[in-house]
Amino acid sequence: MNVLSSTARATAGPTAEAVPLDAAPRPPRRRRRSSIGHPRITPYLFLLPTIVLFLGFKLYPYLSAFWTSLTSNIGGVITFVGLDNYLRLLNDPLFYTALGNTALILVVQVPLMLALGIVLAVAFNSLLLKGRAFFRMAFFVPIVMGLVAYGILFSALFDSSAGIVNELLGYVGIGPIPWLVDPFWAKISIVIAMTWHYTGQNAIIYLAQLQSIPGELYEAAQVDGANGWQRFRNITLPGLRPALLLTVVLSTIGTLQLFDEPYVLTNGGPDNATLTVGMYLYQNGFKYFDFGYASAIGYALTVIIAVVSLIQFRLFRERAPKPISLKKPTSPKEKTR
Amino acid sequence: MRFTLNKRSRGVAVTATAIAAVAALVGCSAPSADNNATDGEVSGKITIWTWNAPGDGLEAAIPAFQKLYPDVEVDVQDVGNPAIWEKITTGMAAGGQGLPDVMNIGIDYMGNYVEQFPGQLVDLRDFGAESLESEFPSGAWKSGSGADGAVYGIPYEVNATGFFYRSDIFEQAGIDIDSIETWDQLIDAGVTIKEKTGVPLYNQDKAATEADSAGLWQLQTALQDSFYFDESGDITMNGEAGVHSLELIKKANDLGIVGDIQGSWDNLLAQLRGEKPTAIMPAGGWMAGVMENEAPEMAGNWGVRLPPSVEPGGITAAVNGGTYLSIPTASKNQKTAWEFVNFALGTLEGQKLVYEGGGMFPGYKPMLESEGFAAPSEYFNGQSPNAIFIAELAQDTPALNYTSDYARALKAYTDAQTRVLLSGADPQQALDEAADQVAQQTGRKLAD
Repeated sequence: MNVLSSTARATAGPTAEAVPLDAAPRPPRRRRRSSIGHPRITPYLFLLPTIVLFLGFKLYPYLSAFWTSLTSNIGGVITFVGLDNYLRLLNDPLFYTALGNTALILVVQVPLMLALGIVLAVAFNSLLLKGRAFFRMAFFVPIVMGLVAYGILFSALFDSSAGIVNELLGYVGIGPIPWLVDPFWAKISIVIAMTWHYTGQNAIIYLAQLQSIPGELYEAAQVDGANGWQRFRNITLPGLRPALLLTVVLSTIGTLQLFDEPYVLTNGGPDNATLTVGMYLYQNGFKYFDFGYASAIGYALTVIIAVVSLIQFRLFRERAPKPISLKKPTSPKEKTR
Repeated sequence: MRFTLNKRSRGVAVTATAIAAVAALVGCSAPSADNNATDGEVSGKITIWTWNAPGDGLEAAIPAFQKLYPDVEVDVQDVGNPAIWEKITTGMAAGGQGLPDVMNIGIDYMGNYVEQFPGQLVDLRDFGAESLESEFPSGAWKSGSGADGAVYGIPYEVNATGFFYRSDIFEQAGIDIDSIETWDQLIDAGVTIKEKTGVPLYNQDKAATEADSAGLWQLQTALQDSFYFDESGDITMNGEAGVHSLELIKKANDLGIVGDIQGSWDNLLAQLRGEKPTAIMPAGGWMAGVMENEAPEMAGNWGVRLPPSVEPGGITAAVNGGTYLSIPTASKNQKTAWEFVNFALGTLEGQKLVYEGGGMFPGYKPMLESEGFAAPSEYFNGQSPNAIFIAELAQDTPALNYTSDYARALKAYTDAQTRVLLSGADPQQALDEAADQVAQQTGRKLAD
């Protein structure tokens, strides 16, 4: 491979495909660098913008935040305090509250949203549906909605005294529900808002994956007498597995970093019922000016995300090699992915 | 992979990046006393960060200022409160990047900015500000100065607590407001008011999800000569006074005479205009001006008096915050900025214009003593809010030590109050938890 590629590079040009491994010695080979007209540095020049941006806006902040997490502002002087911030974090009840809230929202919201996303994707993919393009777009639109508009919209919907949702529920004799002002319902409101915001995005990812499942599989299953549920269970779901892994991991990371919804809707309240790790980080940095501690929270969050993502990759990888099999043993169609 | 993360992650990513970048700048940027900036000419453009009503006041001083300095352009920006605190924090953390030339800073944030970002506010003695010291109440002046006497801000508003009440509602309920001397009596009256008129005694943001909701507790606690912290910075929020205040708040709430309204400027105006009625409205002295400007149709329906005491015969005066005008060292036009601040707050002419424009209660003594300042107001049925505030400021009000951890204490208290109001928690226990939390977060001691 190495030999091949270096040879190919050596003779890069219109005749590259014709290079045999044991190509006869060619005189131009020695002058390759100058003769080609592209100095070796060229690819790096092309990569330079990305590298510079990465170093300036990713690597440097990461390292700087790590250093910050080892410091504390004592009387206006940034002082190195070692692992003090991390030790403080381990004994901070509010941090555990934030972790607990985040975990609860994760466990409830992500499965709900992904299940809904699959249902929507299957519906979008259905030939029976008229105006599919419109529906696909309509469900995707929330993704592009700005944070502020989103906050105003849901505040108006969920206002407990004059909100539209309570008004509508009132017509059917329910409520009023204290959406944003009760610790329990505030969490529910966050879950609903997040689901509204991100389900469309997941549905679009599933839709793309659905279109890669060969139609013959369904036809064959139908011939074998599989009903709709069996086809969904044994063809659609296994076929969606790569997209499932992607969305589960992305949604988990997104939820662990949850900030926008509690920020615009509940401010982390009432009584920290919707305080997430992201909100707590923000409060410490920008409300209390405790940048060292905020950075420590950020790094703790990074470690948690890394561990959770690793576990998810593990779980999905172990299940992935199982062959797709229809219940009927007569079907030998074991499509490898 | 990172680029495919959905939008949710961005908030945190941006925050983390900002924190990181910010921290680096804090570490290395030594604020420099730029001589050019102090000696410069009075010209060019200056920008002021403030919010709605104080902004109106400063706007009103511009035309007269421009007569003195025709070359100067003054841009008053309504950044919004509380958004302004975060903007200032971000700017200061970035070593002064993006800060304006003049900033309106609340007394509760002053200590924090001075302690956490040393050297970022101009010591106004560079411009001779110390000569103004005798013109302002000493308490207000000191809260804007460093321990070494450095002057970081000129007092803009100096607020005593106005105890505003709806005279029409009290009349309708058949209650003589003048007979009420303590908060216990007031709560009893609130029951009658609720029965006869259906109007709550007051409204609170019980869940406190929009803004903090600690004003009433701070007032009642101050009336018992206490606060979150004592003079040495130890935590006193769960002391006898603090617990008693929260018990009063719980009592009123349990009696069903407290409305629940989310804290926002719009909701405040709705209460002033009687759209979401309330029988009383304890607030800073600035509220008098806001009432006249924002709810003119309610003239004659609002009255004002000293707040009732908590204990019979106790304190009936409390300071309710205040604000300062400060100049960041990052300003490139400090001289012009100072001249504007000095004109607006340090001259009778400027003070009058500012007061007429925004109605913020001034601390400038010549203004307080000026003719007509404490004149009876038609809006308040011939009462004079200003006379009441002047009398309050003359009382020996306890000094409030905000410290650099006020924001944490405020949050911890608000959460405790929410537990009491929404889940029926015990005031003593809720405040003990809050105090422990503040101690854990800040390393401060609990006062004995």
